Amino acid sequence: MKEVMMKSMRLSLIAGLLLMLAPAMASASGGGALKHTEITFDNETLRKGLTVFTDVCMGCHAAKYLTYRNLMAYPELGLSREEVDELRGDKGLLEGLITELSPEDATESYGKVPPDLSVITRARRGGGNYIYSLLTGYESDPHGKVEDGNYNAYYPGNRIAMPDPLAWFEHDESETADLEEQARAVSSFLTFIGDPHQLERQRIGIWVMGFLVLLTFVLWLLKREVWKDVKH
Amino acid sequence: MIEKMMNTRLFHWVDERTQLGSIIKSQLTEYPVPKNFNYMWNFGSLALLVLVLQIVTGIFLVMYYKPSAELTYGGYTVAFDSVERIMRDINFGWLIRYMHAVGASAFFVVVYMHIGRGLYYGSYKGPRELLWIIGVVILLIMQGAAFFGYLLPWGQMSFWGATVITNLFGALPVIGEYLQQLLRGGFAVGDPTLNRFFSLHYLFPLLLAAIVGGHIHALHVVHSNNPEGIDIDQEKETIPFHPYYTVKDALGVGVFLLGYCYFVFFNPEAWGYFIEVDNFVPANNLQTPAHIAPVWYLTPWYTILRTFENKLIGVLMMGGSLAILFVLPFLDRSKVRSARYRPVFRQMVILFFVSVVVLGYCGHSAPSATLKIVGAIATSVYFGFFLLLPFVHKFEKTKPLPEGI
Ligand code: HEC
Ligand code: HEM
Repeated sequence: MKEVMMKSMRLSLIAGLLLMLAPAMASASGGGALKHTEITFDNETLRKGLTVFTDVCMGCHAAKYLTYRNLMAYPELGLSREEVDELRGDKGLLEGLITELSPEDATESYGKVPPDLSVITRARRGGGNYIYSLLTGYESDPHGKVEDGNYNAYYPGNRIAMPDPLAWFEHDESETADLEEQARAVSSFLTFIGDPHQLERQRIGIWVMGFLVLLTFVLWLLKREVWKDVKH
Repeated sequence: MIEKMMNTRLFHWVDERTQLGSIIKSQLTEYPVPKNFNYMWNFGSLALLVLVLQIVTGIFLVMYYKPSAELTYGGYTVAFDSVERIMRDINFGWLIRYMHAVGASAFFVVVYMHIGRGLYYGSYKGPRELLWIIGVVILLIMQGAAFFGYLLPWGQMSFWGATVITNLFGALPVIGEYLQQLLRGGFAVGDPTLNRFFSLHYLFPLLLAAIVGGHIHALHVVHSNNPEGIDIDQEKETIPFHPYYTVKDALGVGVFLLGYCYFVFFNPEAWGYFIEVDNFVPANNLQTPAHIAPVWYLTPWYTILRTFENKLIGVLMMGGSLAILFVLPFLDRSKVRSARYRPVFRQMVILFFVSVVVLGYCGHSAPSATLKIVGAIATSVYFGFFLLLPFVHKFEKTKPLPEGI
C-alpha cells in the first residue's frame, strides 16, 4: 500500500522503457533486415578500411571532418608521417579527406552528389551494418524494373545512384570472402571516424563508473549512519 | 564541519555584513523537513544539479559553437561544422557535448519524476498552490530551452522540428502569421532563426536559474509536503535539512550519476532517443525527412497536437494540455492530499501517468491508423483526468488519515 506511488512510477517507467526499446530494436535493422557484420576497431581492420576508402570511395565521396593529421593523431589508426605524406600529396596536413570529383561533375554523371561520409554511420539507421549491407547488396531486381548495377536490396526504394563500388554484382565465388572483408573493413573504418574518440570515451567511462559505484556505496553507508537514530 | 566554518573570523566578518549565518541556519542546519520522505523526494535536488550541469557545459560549448547556417563543403553548415569540431578537435569537447545532450534528456527525466511525485502526493494543493504554479512555469521554460537548443546543431531534425513547431504559431488567428515570422526572423526557418534561437537558448536557462530560486524560496515559506500528505508538527515530526537530507540527496546524486554517466560514456545517442539519427544528416530545406518527431520529452504534447485534424484546435489543445496544469490546484477540491488516502484519485492519477507515457510513445513513432486511435484515447484520458477532478471529492470515500508521521 505504502509503496503504490513507487510501484505506479515504476510501472510507468517500465512501460516507458519497453515502448522505448521496441522501436529502437526495430530501427536498428532499418526497415528490411540488414546483414550483420563484425565492426572492429583493431589497427589492421582500420588501416584496411582506410585503404578501401582512399582507393575506392574517395573517387566520389569525401570525409571532410577527417584530416590527414588525424590519421597520425588517432592512435587507433596511427599512420606514420611518411605514410600520410604519400597519401596527401600536395594537400595540407590540416585539410580533410576530400574527393577530386566536383559536385557538378557528380551530378552530371550520377544525377546526385555523393554524400560526405564523415558521420554517415551515425546518420543512417543500422550504422556500420547498413554500410556493409549496402556494399554487398547489389543484386538483380527480382521485379526486373531497375537495371542491374542500380538495384540495391538495402537502399530505401532500391534504386541507387551509386555504381556498385566494390564490383559486388559481377564477382565470382572465389572473390566473395575478399570483398566481404573489404566491405567489413570500410564499414568499421567509417564507424570509427563517425566518432573518433569513442574508444577513449569508453575507456574513461569504465573508470568513471567504477569510481561512481564506490562513491555511491560510501554515500549509502554514510546515509545509513546519519539516519540510524531517526525513527520513520 | 559547518559549525567549524561558522566560527572562523572570516565568517564572522562576512556574517556581520550579510547575516549569512542566519541564512545558513534557517535554510539548512535548522530548516525543518518532514522525516518520512521517500526517495521520490530526491528529484528536486537532482533537477537543480542537472540545471547547473547544463549551464556549465553550455557555457563551454558556446566558446566553440558558431551559430551560422552558411553553407560549407559537402552540404554542411558552419554550425554543424562547429559542433563536429567540438566533437573531434577540442580537448574533451566530446565529453562536454555529450554531457550537454544527455543532460537535456536527464533534466526531463528528473523533472517529470518530480512533477509526478507532486501529483501523486497532492503537493500542488494548498498552501502550495503558488509553489506548484512556479513549477509549471519552470517546465514551460525548460521545454522552450530544450527546443531552442535542439536547433543549434542544424541537422535535419533540428531544422524540420523547428519548421513544424514554428508553423504551429501560424495557425493562430490574427497574430499567427506575425508571430511565426517573428520567431523565424523571416518567412522560413533559416540563418536568422538560428541566431535568435541561440540567443534565447542562452537566456532561458539563466531565467530558469532565477525562477528556480523563487521556487525554492516559496518552498521554504510553505514547507514540504510529505508522503502522507498531512500537516505535521513542525517541531516534533521534522529533522533538520542538514545533515539528514543533504546526505540523502547526495546518495541520490550518486545513483543518478551512475545512470547519467552510463549514457554519456557508453550510449550518448541512447538508440536515437537523446540525439536522433536524422540529426547527423545536415539540414536541407529541400528534403523533408520521412518522419519528423521531436525528442522524446516533447512527444506527449506532439501527439495531442496531431490527434486533431484541425490545426488550430490541435494547437489550442496542446497549449491547453500544459496550461491546465496551472489551474490544477483549484480543480482539485478534496481536503485530503496524498493519493495514499484517496482510492479514486489514486486510480485516476496512475491512469494519467500511463496516458502520458502512451502519448509519448505515439508521438515518437511514425504515424499509423492504430496509433492515431491509441493517441486519441490517451488524449481523452489526459484531459479526462482534469475534467473529473473537480467532482471526485463529492463521491470519493477517503481513508482515515494518520495522526502523525
Ligand atoms: C563512382 C562514384 C562512387 C563511388 C566510387 C562510391 N560511391 Fe557511394 N555514392 C555515390 C553516389 C552517387 C551516391 C548517392 C546514391 C543515392 O543517393 O542514390 C552514393 C551514396 C553512398 C552512401 C549513402 C547511401 C544512403 O543511404 O543514402 C553510402 C553509405 C556510400 N555511398 C558509401 C560508399 C562507400 C563505402 C564507398 C567505397 C567503398 C563508395 N560509396 C564509393 C557514388 C559513389
Ligand atoms: C535548461 C538547460 C538547457 C537545456 C535543457 C539545453 C538543451 C540543449 C539541447 C537539447 C541541445 C542540442 C544537443 C545536441 O543535439 O547536441 C543543446 C545544444 C547547445 N546548448 Fe544547451 N541546454 C541548456 C542550457 C544551455 C546553456 C545555459 C547554454 C549556454 C550558456 C547552452 C549552450 C548550448 C550550445 C552552444 C549548444 C550547441 C552545441 C550542441 O548542439 O551540442 N545550453 N542544448
